[in-house]
Parts: sequence; structure tokens; C-alpha cells
Amino acid sequence: MMAKKIPDISALNSDWIHSEFFQMVPYMVAVVDKDYNIVEANANFEDFFGEWKNKKCYAVYKKQDKPCENCPSFKIFKDGQPRVIDSVVVDKEGRQAHNVVHSVPLHNPDDKSVEFIIEMSSAVTETNRLQQEVSVLFDRVPCYITVIDSDYRIVRANEKFRESFGDVLGQYCYKVYKRRNKKCPNCPAAKTFKDGKNHESEQSGIGKKGQSINYIVSTSPLKRGGGDIAHVIEISTDVTKLKVLEKDIIDAERLAAVGQTVAGLAHSIKNILMGLEGGKYMIGLGLKKDDRDLIDRGSEMLDRNFNKTTSLVRDFLSFSKGRLPELKMTDPNKLATEIIDLYKDIAGQSGIELKSKLSPKIKKAPLDADAIHTCLTNLVSNAIDACQMGKQKGTEVVVSVRDEKNTLIFEVTDNGAGMDYDIKKKIFTTFFTTKGGKGTGLGLLTSRKLVQEHGGRIVVKSQKNKGSLFRLEFPRQRLNYIYKESRKNGDEENN
Amino acid sequence: MSKPADKKILVVDDEDDIRQFLELALKEAGFNVITATDGFEAMDQVEKENPDLISLDLVMPKKSGAKFYRDLSKSKKYNKIPVLIVTGHARDELGRADLKELTLSGPGIYLEKPISPPKYVAAVKSLLGLDATDEEKILAEQVNLQSELKNIIDSADPETLKQLKKLINGKK
Repeated sequence: MMAKKIPDISALNSDWIHSEFFQMVPYMVAVVDKDYNIVEANANFEDFFGEWKNKKCYAVYKKQDKPCENCPSFKIFKDGQPRVIDSVVVDKEGRQAHNVVHSVPLHNPDDKSVEFIIEMSSAVTETNRLQQEVSVLFDRVPCYITVIDSDYRIVRANEKFRESFGDVLGQYCYKVYKRRNKKCPNCPAAKTFKDGKNHESEQSGIGKKGQSINYIVSTSPLKRGGGDIAHVIEISTDVTKLKVLEKDIIDAERLAAVGQTVAGLAHSIKNILMGLEGGKYMIGLGLKKDDRDLIDRGSEMLDRNFNKTTSLVRDFLSFSKGRLPELKMTDPNKLATEIIDLYKDIAGQSGIELKSKLSPKIKKAPLDADAIHTCLTNLVSNAIDACQMGKQKGTEVVVSVRDEKNTLIFEVTDNGAGMDYDIKKKIFTTFFTTKGGKGTGLGLLTSRKLVQEHGGRIVVKSQKNKGSLFRLEFPRQRLNYIYKESRKNGDEENN
Repeated sequence: MSKPADKKILVVDDEDDIRQFLELALKEAGFNVITATDGFEAMDQVEKENPDLISLDLVMPKKSGAKFYRDLSKSKKYNKIPVLIVTGHARDELGRADLKELTLSGPGIYLEKPISPPKYVAAVKSLLGLDATDEEKILAEQVNLQSELKNIIDSADPETLKQLKKLINGKK
């Protein structure tokens, strides 16, 4: 096979080419002459392409019977320039495959002409497939993905992003996302450039059609050779629709509270009417029988029920006051402390210890201070009542304030009477009271309405004879959302 | 024929004023009256006094009227005692379900607060099969008729009701 005149291709004949190296090199290596004959190949090559001896390169590489047009490898015979070629080949099983081929010349040492070319191929079919997958994933994942450089210019953007924001390569991200001329305050990408960590924040931007887009963006560093952070990748999830849903839920909760209240109000009025009817009847009977005692009792009954009407109206007015709470940045600790100061003496007189558990570093939150004050007042006064009803010794009421998973929490716990399942079920449903004439049954209902107006909720845990826990939970994101809404409404009113 | 003075009525209501009022109205009509403020007390009174009729509020703390009634129905000794339900919750979520259960399976008669003494007394007398004044008879009939109609309407299918409404409106 090497019968042809081989000037001094020592390399070809030398030991190394037949050595293990030739066999072990992680390429499929073949040596081809000017007549397309494969004159030598390694085991990797044979494994992949099959039998090659006494065959033409095109027959082995492509399983065809004539040379390829414009074979880039063969240009090396003319210009002696090595090449890297992407090539579609056919393996020994007849399957198409993608190879990257490094072709280099072997020179005749005498006239320096190119006598052979060495073709070193590596299979990239799998790599290609993966690349394709990644690129589909990158473009079609239901997120906006951009890569920005340290000047905050977008160097890559996925299809999903381009659909919503337009073709924006090379532009500043703040310009594209938000149509701003300056970097955004609290930019998570800036934090990532600074500390190399992942960051996340909720933002709202403007799409190419001027539509408002709410998204949660997370930023991650892309490091250059493990060193500097050259780029940051921004992955954003569109939560615009979720925002609308969330608003619907908040509204529905508010409406539900109003409905329950009206039902409860009707019941409360019925009871009062019944009391008035009773008073009237007693007085009438007393007059008929000339029974002074009966007249007095009837008149007391009338008094009581008129008073109930008064307090019902007062509570109801406070209940129906305002749809949107007036939110101002408030220190939660301060609110709790005020309540403690207010009730310390009252609790102390009944031998109940009133304690606070504050979080000194807690962040301020947009709250309607009056409303939360009302809620905590209701809860603490209920807790004190429960302790008195419980008749245990060493009773205490604890008011605590803390943050948990970005949710602001106020908690009032007592170790008083507690509630059984029946009562627990009813405490929010209507004007329900276990305090006889003492309560209107509006306290907790009012509290719940106020909490719901803040986008929050009340959690109740209680065990008969063990005590109760009332927890007000305010997700801070919802608070911020309502804060923005109320300010927007305020602006509209001012205009 | 027995007289009110032979009968003992148990009035169960958590509201002081209402309990006093109902007690007085019944006493004026000649009945013997005992009272209870919740389902537990009511059961104690039943066992101690074996009343002839129970006037029962539904929504009460501790043990509700509905719970009390369920326990009462299970007792072979006391399940024959007639029960008159007096509630303010006939139409709201707190009482509706309980009331439906009780009116369908149980006493069948209820009064919705607020009620006047004559109507109340008339309903009690009617349940006990006592002689009533003419006025009381008319009132009792009203109560019975209303309860009966309510039961029919509650268990009727909506289509029939629609047709009925058409019929009534057409005759106007």
C-alpha cells in the first residue's frame, strides 16, 4: 500500500506514528494521499468508520463513490494551510454523524510540497444535540433571559425576551426593561456584580407595546475563567397575570368580609329587637298588674337593648370605615409597645401578666397604625377576658412581633380558657359572642376585616382549657402592593 | 283536657333578656317554666325536671341547640319531648344548615326571632295540644302553615316552584 515513492517521510515511518500514541490519541486519525487513498488510520478511526484499507477517503467518510465537490481538506495540497472543518459523515452502521476535522499537511522534506494530509476527526454529534437543546431551552423557556456586561448592556437575549421587549442587543438593560435613562435603584444585577452572589427582586417593567410587565428577576454571575465577573445573567419570570389574580383574591376576601358582616348584623339586630320586645312586654304587663318590679325590670331591659344598639352602631361604623387602609411606614414594635402600655394595669389588676416579645431590628412596614391598634386591642382584651374566664393561676398574655419568611407577624397568646371546636368555628362567622351582654361579637370580625384590608390574614389556634393563639400575618409583598395601590388612588383623587 | 298549669316548659337561650322575656310570657299564660343557658345546662334540666316541652335557641356557646337536640333524639327516655326552635339564625350560614336538619328530621316547627308573646304562647300550646283562645288558634295556624309551607318549599324542586310562582302571579 505504500508502494508509492515516499521521499523521506520519516514521520510516517517513524516509530511514533505506529506507537501507542497514534492509537491512543482521542481522535479518529487518517492519513490521505493526493489520490484520495487512505494510507494509514488508527483504531479509533476504524471503530467509527469501519474497514478503510485500500479504500478511498470519500468511500470511507461518506460512503459515496466519487470525491466530494470542493473538498476543503484537499485545498491543503495546494496551499499547505491547515484547516478545521465541520463535516457530516456516515459511520460504519450507515448513521449520519457530525464531526469536527482538524486537517494538517505532511510535507515532503525535499521540496516542501504537501505529500499527505493528516485528518484528525472528533465526533460532535452529541455536543451538537446538546447545543441545540440548550438553545431551544434558552429561547423558549417561559422566562425572560438576558446576559448583560459590566456596562449593563445586553449582550444576549432569548426569543421570549425579544417577543416582549423587542430586539435590543447592545442596549442598556435599564433602558430596555424600564425605559429609564439611569441605572435602577436596588438593581439586583449590580449586587451580583459586586458580591458575585445570586440575587432576586420583584420589579415592574414596560414592554415594547407599552404594556406593564411585572416580573421576578434573579441574577447570577458569569465568571471569566473563574476570576472577574464579566457578565450577569438575568432570568425573569413574568408574574403579571399572577398579580391580577392576587388582586382579585384580595378584593374577593374584602367582599366576603362585608357579606358576612351584613348577615351577622341582621342577627344582632334581631336579638336586640327581641330584647326591646321583651322590655315592652314587661312594662305593659307591669302596668296592667300594677307591678312596680316588673315595670322596673322591663325598663332595665329596654335600657340594655338601647345601649346595645348604640354600641352596635358605633362598632359597625368603625367596621365600615374606609375600604382602603391608610398605610404609613410604621414601626411594628412601637405598635405592640403601645398596646402593652395600654393594658398593663388592667391585666395586672386581674393578676394577669402582660408581656412583650419584640424584634429590635425589625423593618418598618406600611400599616394603618390605627387599624392595627384596633386589632391588637381586640386581641389583647379578648386574651385578658379568656384568662379571667379560665380561672387558672399564673395566667399571662404575650404580644410578640417578628418577621418570618418576609411576612410581618403580630401574635397574641394567652394561657386562659381556650376554645373548643364549636366556638373556634364561629368566632369569625357572625356577631358571635360568648361574653353574654358584654360583647357585641364584632371585635374579631372587625379585626379580621382590617387585617384583610392589609392583604393579611388571622390564624387562630386554641385548645380548650390550655389557651389561645391569635396571629396576624402580613406578607410584606402584599403590604407593599397595597401601599402602592393606595398611593396611586390618592394621586388620582388629588388630580 | 290538661291546662297550662299542668305543663312544665324548659326555655333554653344564652341571652339573659330573651330568656327572661320568654319565661315571663309563658308564666303569664299559666305554664310552669324552668330555664337553661346552654346545651349542657339544658340536658341537666331535662334529666332533673323531665319537662313537657323545650323551647330551644340554636346558636349558643359551649353546647349549641343543634348538638343538644341531636343528643336528645338519641335518648329513648326523652326523645318524645316536643321541641320548639326559637332562632335568629334561620336565614344565615350559622343556623341554616342546623335548622334544615332539625326541621326535616325533627320537631318541624320553628319561630324566627323576634317574636311576640301571643305568637310564642300559641305555638307552645299548639305543640302540646292544649286549648287555645281563638286569637291563639289563628296565630298557631299561621305558625303551622308557615312552617309547613317552608318545609314544602325547602324540599321542592326549583322548577315546580317556578311554575307555582307563575300560577300565583297569573291569578292576580
